[in-house]
Amino acid sequence: MPKRIVAWLDERFPFTSFVRHELTEYPTPKNISYWWNFGFLAGFVLVLQMVSGIFLAMHYEPTTKGAFDSVQYIVRDVNYGWLLRNLHATGASAFFIVVYIHMARTLYYGSYRAPRELMWWVGQVILILMMATAFMGYLLPWGQMSYWGAEVITNLFKATPLIGEQLVYWIRGDFAVGDTTLKRFFALHYLFPFLIVGVVIIHLIGLHHVRSSNPSGLNLAAKDNIPFHPYFTAKDFFGLGVFLIVFCGFVFFAPDFFLSPINNNPADPLKTPPHIQPEWYFLPFYAILRAIPDTLGGALAMTISVIIFALMPFLDHSQIPGGARYRPAYRVLFYVFIVDLAALTYIGAKPPEAGWILAGRIATFVYFAVFLFLPVLSRLEERWLVARGLPDELAELVKPRDRRRTRKERRTSERDRRIPTAPAG
Amino acid sequence: MRGAVLSISLLAGLAAVTAIGQAREDPRKESNGSAQAGATTIVQTCSACHSLKYIAYNDLLNLGIGKQQLDELRGDNDLLSHIAAQLPEDVAKETYGVIPPDLSLMASAREGGADYIYRMLTSFYQTPQGTTDNHAFAGTRMPDILGISYATDQQTVSQIRQTAHDATAFLEWAADPKANERVTLGYYVIGYLLFLTVILYFWKREIWKDVTD
Repeated sequence: MPKRIVAWLDERFPFTSFVRHELTEYPTPKNISYWWNFGFLAGFVLVLQMVSGIFLAMHYEPTTKGAFDSVQYIVRDVNYGWLLRNLHATGASAFFIVVYIHMARTLYYGSYRAPRELMWWVGQVILILMMATAFMGYLLPWGQMSYWGAEVITNLFKATPLIGEQLVYWIRGDFAVGDTTLKRFFALHYLFPFLIVGVVIIHLIGLHHVRSSNPSGLNLAAKDNIPFHPYFTAKDFFGLGVFLIVFCGFVFFAPDFFLSPINNNPADPLKTPPHIQPEWYFLPFYAILRAIPDTLGGALAMTISVIIFALMPFLDHSQIPGGARYRPAYRVLFYVFIVDLAALTYIGAKPPEAGWILAGRIATFVYFAVFLFLPVLSRLEERWLVARGLPDELAELVKPRDRRRTRKERRTSERDRRIPTAPAG
Repeated sequence: MRGAVLSISLLAGLAAVTAIGQAREDPRKESNGSAQAGATTIVQTCSACHSLKYIAYNDLLNLGIGKQQLDELRGDNDLLSHIAAQLPEDVAKETYGVIPPDLSLMASAREGGADYIYRMLTSFYQTPQGTTDNHAFAGTRMPDILGISYATDQQTVSQIRQTAHDATAFLEWAADPKANERVTLGYYVIGYLLFLTVILYFWKREIWKDVTD
C-alpha cells in the first residue's frame, strides 16, 4: 500500500528522486567533525523558536498597557506557559550561540572560500535578519531594558545625515518608543522568522550544489564521501541530544540566566536605568558602537563590524586551500579574533568609564585590524609555507606567484582549485 | 525498523515524563513552611503599602496555606481578588513621595534577587540625625517596618531576621510560583534526554562502524 502511494506521488512530484538526491545519495565528506553539526542545530532552534513563539502569540497582548501583564499571565496562568516562555527566551540565546559557533567553524576551516562565497553571504543575510528579529522580540515583554534598549538603538538612526530625525520617527511610528512601536515590532517579529526560513532554503540549495566543506579544505575523492543519510542523520541526532541536555538544563534549572533582572520591572519612560545594555549576543557590536566618540561614526563602525564578514572571501589571498588546517598563521589570527570578540563582549557589559573606554577602543582596533591584516598575512604565510616545502597533497595546488601573470591567468588558476561539479557517486 | 523502535521509545518516554510531571505538580507536598509564614507577614504587614498584583488570595492555596488560615488572611477580600495595597496610591505619594513598588516580582526584579530583599529588610540603621537609612538601599523612603534599627536585645534581632527570612521566601515564591513544578519536570526531562542521547550515541556508532578513515 505505501509503495503504491509513493508510486502515485512520484508520477506527479519528484518525491523519491528528491529524497535520493538530497539525502540517501547526497555525498558528504566523511571526515567532517562535530563542528559541522551546528548548521543542523541552528535549523532545529529556528523551528523551536517559531513553534514556541506561535503559542506565545496566542496569549500575548501587544499594547503598552497589557504587554508586561500578559507575559506574567502566560508564565503564571497559561498551562505550561512558563515552559513556552522559558523555551523561547532561552532559545533566543541558544540560537545565537549555535549560529556564532557555526560561523566560527566557517572561519576556522576557511569554509567561506571559493566556491562557497555565496553560501557565506546568504548566511550573513540570515544573521542580519536574526539580529533584527531578536532586537524586535526583546521589546515585546515591555520591561525596562526592553524599552530603553529599543529607545537607544532606534535613536542611533538620528545620526543619518539630513533625514535622521524623520527616519527615527518613521521607524518608531511615534516621537518616542510607544504603543505603535510595540505593535509593529510584534507584527514584524512574527513575520521575520518566515523570511529567515526562505533564506535558509536558499542557503541549503546552495549547500547541496557546492557540498559541505571539510576540515582539510581539500576537495575529497569520491571514495571519501558518504551518503548524508543514514550517516549524518545519525550523527546530527546524537549531536541534537547533547545540545538538548545543555539547553534544557538552562530552561528548567536556570531560566533567567540570560535575562537581566531589570527587565522584570515594567517599562517606565520617565525612569532611565543607570546602565543600558543589550542582550549578550549584541554586546561585541555595542562595545564597538561606544568605542567611537561620534554617534554617526559609532553607528557606522557597528554596522561595518557586522557586514565586514562578507569581505572574507576577498581578503584571504592564500593559495593554500581551507583555513587553519594547513595554515598556522591563519590559525593564530583566528584565535586573536575570538579572544578579541570575548573581550568586546565583556567590555560591552561594562559602564563606559575611563579604563573601559580605552579597552573598548583597543579591542575595536584589533577587531578591524584582523580583517585588514588578513590579505598581507595570507600572502606572507603562503610564501613562508612554500619556502618550507609543502606536503604532497598541497604541492600541485599552489602555483608559483608571478607578478607578470595576467588577471585572466590568475582567475583560471583560481577556478582549478574548485570542486569539480560532477557528483562523485 | 530502527526508526520505528526509536520513535516508539521517544513517544513512550515523552508520555512518561509528562504523566510523572503532572502527578508531581502539587507543590503542597514540598516543605515551604518558611514561605507560608512569610505570607502572613506580607499580607498583614507589607500589603499596608505594597500591592502584589499578580498574586490572588486563591493562589496562596498552592503554597500549602489551609482554607481556614486563608479566610483569616483575606478578611473581606474576594478569594479571586489580587492582593492590593491598603494605602491608596495618592496618599502614599503624599506621605512617602513615591508609590511603593508592587512586590510580586521583587525577588527577580532586583540585582541579587531574594538575597537583596533579605539584606534590604535587615540593613536599616539609625542615622546621627535620628532618621533611619538603609545600607542596602541608601535613601530609601521605606520605614524600618520590622524595627531592626532600634532593636536592642539579641533575641528581638534574631526574631526580626527570621521574619525577614520568611518574607523573602514568600516573595521568592511569588516571583516564580512554578519553580517547584519546573525543577521537578526538569529532572525527568534531563533524565529522559540522557537516556535518549545514549541510545542515539550507540545508534550512530552502529551506523558508522563500517566507515573507515
